[in-house]
Amino acid sequence: MASLELRNVVKRYKSQTVLDNLSLTVADGETLVLFGPSGAGKTVLLRLVAGVIDPDEGNILIGGEDMTDVDAEFRGVGMAFQNFALFPHMTAFDNIATPLEASRSSQSAIKAGVESVAKLLKIGHVLSHKPRALSNGQKQRTALARALVGSPPVLLLDDPLRNVDAKLRFEMRLELPRLLADRGATVVYVTQDYKEAMALGDRIAVMSQGVIKQLGTPEQIYREPANIEIARLFGDPTINLLDVKPSRDAKGIYIGLSNVQVHLAGSYETAVGRDCVIGLRPEALAFVDEGTPAAIPVTVEAETPLNEKIVTLVRTVRGREILVSRPAGTPGQTEGRAYIAVDGKSALLFDRASGDRIGSKNVVNLRSGEAA
Amino acid sequence: MTAATMQRNRPSGFRISKRVLPYVLSLPALLVCIGILIPFFTSVVYSFQRYRLSQPWARQFNWGDNYISFFTDPKFWNTLEISLLYAGITVLLELLLGLGIAMLLQKRSTLNNFISIMLLMPLMTAPALAALMWKLMTNPGFGVLSYLASLIGLQDFRWASSPSTALFTVVLVDIWVYTPFIMILLLAGLRSLPTQPFEAAALDGVPRSFVFFRITLPMLTPYILTATLFRLLDSIQQFDIIYAMTQGGPGDTLTVFQVEAYLNFFQSTNVGRSAALMIILWAITYFLSNIFIKNWLRLRERARGQA
Amino acid sequence: MEHTSLLERILRGVALTLVVIFFMFPIVWIFMMSFQTNETILRIPPQLVFKPTLANYTALITGKLTTAAGTLDIAFMRNLWNSVFLSVTSVAVALLLGVPAAYAFARHKFRGSEDIAFTLLSFRFAPALLVLLPLTLYFQKLGLSNTYIGLIWVYQLICLPLILWIVRGYFEDIPADIEYAYRIAGHSWFATFRKIALPLAGPGIAAAGLLAFIFAWNNFVFALVLASADKQPVTVGALAFITSSGIQYGQISAAIVLSITPTLALALYAQRYLVEGLSLGAVKG
Repeated sequence: MASLELRNVVKRYKSQTVLDNLSLTVADGETLVLFGPSGAGKTVLLRLVAGVIDPDEGNILIGGEDMTDVDAEFRGVGMAFQNFALFPHMTAFDNIATPLEASRSSQSAIKAGVESVAKLLKIGHVLSHKPRALSNGQKQRTALARALVGSPPVLLLDDPLRNVDAKLRFEMRLELPRLLADRGATVVYVTQDYKEAMALGDRIAVMSQGVIKQLGTPEQIYREPANIEIARLFGDPTINLLDVKPSRDAKGIYIGLSNVQVHLAGSYETAVGRDCVIGLRPEALAFVDEGTPAAIPVTVEAETPLNEKIVTLVRTVRGREILVSRPAGTPGQTEGRAYIAVDGKSALLFDRASGDRIGSKNVVNLRSGEAA
Repeated sequence: MTAATMQRNRPSGFRISKRVLPYVLSLPALLVCIGILIPFFTSVVYSFQRYRLSQPWARQFNWGDNYISFFTDPKFWNTLEISLLYAGITVLLELLLGLGIAMLLQKRSTLNNFISIMLLMPLMTAPALAALMWKLMTNPGFGVLSYLASLIGLQDFRWASSPSTALFTVVLVDIWVYTPFIMILLLAGLRSLPTQPFEAAALDGVPRSFVFFRITLPMLTPYILTATLFRLLDSIQQFDIIYAMTQGGPGDTLTVFQVEAYLNFFQSTNVGRSAALMIILWAITYFLSNIFIKNWLRLRERARGQA
Repeated sequence: MEHTSLLERILRGVALTLVVIFFMFPIVWIFMMSFQTNETILRIPPQLVFKPTLANYTALITGKLTTAAGTLDIAFMRNLWNSVFLSVTSVAVALLLGVPAAYAFARHKFRGSEDIAFTLLSFRFAPALLVLLPLTLYFQKLGLSNTYIGLIWVYQLICLPLILWIVRGYFEDIPADIEYAYRIAGHSWFATFRKIALPLAGPGIAAAGLLAFIFAWNNFVFALVLASADKQPVTVGALAFITSSGIQYGQISAAIVLSITPTLALALYAQRYLVEGLSLGAVKG
């Protein structure tokens, strides 16, 4: 097995810098999710690790060994592509067999290897088909099987669920973590879907414009996002963001929401008197009875039941819209006037100008490679 | 399956590095390139020399003399005039005819597709052989075209053997061979045009002439330009048809650039003049091909985009 | 186009008929002449109905023509063989040189790659004699005049740009990820080229080869300048034939038919790729 390390990697296309002095360590056996919008450099990073493109600067180490100048075929990685990249002129069996053929396995070993991984991914019955005769889901599984079959110590998965339908994506999201854990491989998984990132990653690296903006466990990214952008990307429904200016009184630091003082738990000394944005996760808000301390009066505008939760859109007396989420089946307010309470501990405070989160609770060291 | 399966042998022995690989792959083509550039530069050198194969001892640099003498040489002006005339007439007629035929065949139907494939046959005939075919058909003794001409009152129509009709005859053969080239390119262009503007125009009852000049032609322009320049580049250098048909004659009626250069080289053994003629022709084609390549690249990008 | 009047349909029909007659008539007429004896050919008015004879073809194939004046040797089969040999070999060489280069230009953009590609393209448009005339003198010095090797080399002037630019397009059409996937699976660049790029570009390469064959076959000026009788292809041979044999019009027609049949047949076979080939990849059919 092998750890993976990128040291100060720079990749430019023409004058555009796609990866900007990026360093990253993935521990042996860890699953790291690269999350970010398209154009963030996620795919480029995977290709650099795979060795099909070369970095302009920096080094790539696999298992502690410098692989920067080693050709792709000698790096011992498996990769699944977003568009599957199946060989159109070969059957599914031959597609999956290509890594085994390269390692000069015997015919019987190839057959056994392909069939076992095909069984695992439930595509045993379509092995004789050419890619164009496969459904999207089958193509995706074939591509995954090809990446897995040689048991590569490093697995690179480039948004493998992007081009499959919602139902299959849901199934695979449940199936993949077990599959990857069983393999014990070091995995780098690219996705633009935050739920996938939360479900699969031991750690998540949030990328944007060629740099890693935050690296941490899914819990950390969700609870302590480095900035407004990341807070907005993780969470459904999206985090409520309200402009505030924190003040201080005897009980500590507070913000004013609809003339109600909400005290914040945490060291926000530096925020006092600054223009800030408060981030309130919809599930950190709850309907309360009138008269509860720090209850904010609101008007219920609309209620949307989702599968496992109910999302309510409410409006404050100052006209600001807020989303409140509660588990399905729990009582809530469906119309008219209501009161909500804010959990001061889970509130996130951001500097309005820079977008960075204020507070010292957990400064994530981007360079550290500690697994969660 | 264990991790050991992935333990691949590292490169051993001879291995081409990533950076060198593309050069290695294109090296043979590059060598051919160089092999052809050498005679090209030799031509440049010859064009500045007094060089006759019959008088090798008198070979010496005369610098611009070959070129300067062209100014006062009626044979050169004849060559330039007939070359431009030939290229202009053939390409213009082929363009009009090719566009017309392409529009007749625009609708996809079995018959239209069949006809368009049949019309490719002249284009696939070697131009030199096409010239021979027409030579047989225009033979004054038994040629079927001479017979047909006599039927419509053109007794003793001499076709390529008379100075007054020689140009007409070779142009006719050129049209026969190359109109399908323009036709097939424009047909592909016409059939690749989006249909919405035409449907909208038909719904609005826009007159046909308006549709043709304001919608069809502008949208077809890149194809027309590419096809025309392609033909112009070939036509100004026409050799096969003219040489096979008349060898530049009768007299010097049809001594276009390449024919004149060929005759200068092999009959008058005047290498210097011949090379100078070719350099002038090359300058003309170089100018045209620069315009051409821009258009061609744009069209090529578009074709790749369709894939 | 749906509401065409009867008059318009008639006019279109007439126009198309005239077009078809103009472009097909010479081929049909020469084809008919090739089955006629000289007596019927020389008859005026020309005969549409005649008793077909295979004598012209027999004479060409046996290489002996018996006339009242005596027996005449016809070297036409030699020309036909030269055409086949020169075209096939030239295309094979062009494929061998051009396909790897096309792959390099498509996949590994490198310094100077576009320059080489455009230089090769410019050969397609430069006057042939510009290169040929000095080449005759070089060939004499090098002992390459009137050799197959010399001719095949010169034929690269037309074959190589065609192969290079068309095949390059086909390589560019293969998604890079497919090749990356094969490399990552543990295969060398050469295995990737052989097992992925070549098979996927295969139909395009075959079509480019066929087109290059047609252009090589139809070429006239290279052999006219650089070859003597025993190395000449049909294009030059037929011209020599018409001057040497005088009035053997039946045989000449038969020779023309035999000379144009291979290219016409190949063109019909490869017609799907013709547009792309003729425009060097700029227009897709």
